[in-house]
Amino acid sequence: MTAFSGDLFDGRSSQAHPVNATLDAGQLHITGEDIALVYPLSQIDVAPPVGAARGVVHLPEGQELHSTDLAALAALSQATATNRPERWARHLESRLGYALIALVVSVLVMFAGLRWGVPAAAQLAAHTLPAGLERNIGEESLTLMDKFSLSPSRLPLARQQSLTQQLAAQCGKQTCPPYTLLFRNSKLFGANAMALPGGTIVVTDALIDLAHTDTELIAVIAHELGHVAHRHSLRLALQSIGAGVILVAITGDIGSVSDLAAGLPSLLLQNGYSRDMEREADAYALAWLNTACIPPRHFADILGRLDKDSTDSTTLLDSHPGTHQRIKPFLASHRCT
Amino acid sequence: MTNTKQYPMQFTGRGGEYFVIWIVNIALTLLTLGIYSAWAKVRTMRWFYGHTLLDNQTFTYLATPMQILKGRLIALAALVAYYAASFYSPMLAVALMIILLIAMPWIVVSSLRFHARMSAYRGLRFDFTGSVGEAARIYIGLSLLVIPTLGLILPYLAYRQIKFIADNTTYGQTASRYQGTSKPFWGVYLFALVLMLLPIGVIALGLYQVAQMKTAGMPPEVAMAAVGTSIFAGAALFYLMTLVAGAMIMARTANLFYNATTIGPIGFQSNQRARDLIWLYFSNLVLIALTIGIFIPWAKVRLARYRAGHLTLTGPENLSEFTAGQQQSSTATGAEMADLFDLNIGLT
Repeated sequence: MTAFSGDLFDGRSSQAHPVNATLDAGQLHITGEDIALVYPLSQIDVAPPVGAARGVVHLPEGQELHSTDLAALAALSQATATNRPERWARHLESRLGYALIALVVSVLVMFAGLRWGVPAAAQLAAHTLPAGLERNIGEESLTLMDKFSLSPSRLPLARQQSLTQQLAAQCGKQTCPPYTLLFRNSKLFGANAMALPGGTIVVTDALIDLAHTDTELIAVIAHELGHVAHRHSLRLALQSIGAGVILVAITGDIGSVSDLAAGLPSLLLQNGYSRDMEREADAYALAWLNTACIPPRHFADILGRLDKDSTDSTTLLDSHPGTHQRIKPFLASHRCT
Repeated sequence: MTNTKQYPMQFTGRGGEYFVIWIVNIALTLLTLGIYSAWAKVRTMRWFYGHTLLDNQTFTYLATPMQILKGRLIALAALVAYYAASFYSPMLAVALMIILLIAMPWIVVSSLRFHARMSAYRGLRFDFTGSVGEAARIYIGLSLLVIPTLGLILPYLAYRQIKFIADNTTYGQTASRYQGTSKPFWGVYLFALVLMLLPIGVIALGLYQVAQMKTAGMPPEVAMAAVGTSIFAGAALFYLMTLVAGAMIMARTANLFYNATTIGPIGFQSNQRARDLIWLYFSNLVLIALTIGIFIPWAKVRLARYRAGHLTLTGPENLSEFTAGQQQSSTATGAEMADLFDLNIGLT
């Protein structure tokens, strides 16, 4: 038999009535001055205890029974036998060891979720989304970029056509993902090439000036074809949403204190994701160049020049892996069969 | 009134106790892909309410996890729709943003109402009776004036937001009244403006000196480095001042909110100090960063303890004279929308 004392509030006035409560034969008896109430357990609702906070039992008609006797309330909660997830939580919270396990599990799940879960989900989503949608997104972003950061190429048309034909010739000999090659001039991006969702590859004039030979340009485009084949732009956009949702889910519980700190991890994550994709695109380019019998060295050459060109903008949080590390496999092997 | 009594607010929760609840909440939330977050929220709220004591009685949180979960799912669907739209076409996202803006007064009111109705003290619920029309006047009408008035209306906007809450809350059937004026809010925001001008001054001064030296024949690389340094110093100071000004505004508005509010025979005295809150926020932030987040539960408990410790109620010798009002049911959708879209509604 469980007995405890507490305060009864009738839900009609703020008057506290000191009462004694006993659990007897499946019924809760509440007695006090001018009070004699009996409720079957099915009519009462024990708010599952949290920590050492005062416990509350909800009774019919908005009545509340408050008590500091947490042991008795726990017994009462057991007796009402409503299967709540909170009973699990209470059990886990009861021992420091479980809490430490929870800490380790949280860290591992968060890490694994962000490191592998989000990219995997994004990859799955990228492949199930219709190609038309991807093309739409690519067109939208090209229109925006054309408006704000790109201007028409100053390259002679003949030169543009020659590069387009060289690439088309290579893609006639081996498999390439569907692509569109575009030339643009851009102050903002400098010497650069980018792959937009839907297969549009934009090469800047500055990059073409930087290249010593056309083969070097084909090598860079091979890297961008890697981004296209793996649908990287779409996946990166999806991943930033996924990571955002996870961070919101975590910080939602953390509250406003963390707002200042939340920006940095998402930036680090974003860069981590794009580093993975650069590696993937590099691997694609290496295989592609080898199949095309183009010495991969050319990629290393232009990459080295590109890096020298942009040393002042390289930071600790750079989105590309170290150039030295990237160049290595392109210098090592040249298999042509 | 002759027989009045002071009732200090107390917070009795401990950081270590909350840490265990917090970490179990996070672990279960992650393992259930976020579903448990509704239970986590209810447990957290119940813990904070159950440790907030007034006249040796605690507050009660009445929302059920299912209510929160439903609200969260609807809010999440809206957020996903918004993300998907902005992904697909920026125009569609703008249209959704406008719809959200139009719905905002309703979201604000239903969020305040849900929060009030789910809070009880001594078996009586709170309620919020503010109208959607007035919320629209404040949260859309006045907010639209912020840019054309170059922010000069901000103090008045803050005053109206505070008044909206403090004038429209009921405890049982006793309604609250707010007797404050907008005047003290101008002082608070003027002070904040001065604080925020400091970093801009530092950058301007730095750039001015660089310009002086450049005319005196400084090589361009050195001048660029000097420009970089002054901008960096200015940015660092900017973040520091955001924290300082934010904490200052929080402390002062909390005092302005409580000290001019009465609920029937009950009056409030809040004496939070800006420098205390600045120190709390700053030390919390540093400790959270140093412990990679582990300190968060202690940080929240420190804040709760400070807020409770600086609030005292004045009222009759006993608090049993309040009676219940009529209540309708309420859903969590607006409240969860407000949370997820990060709308800043007022005091928590």
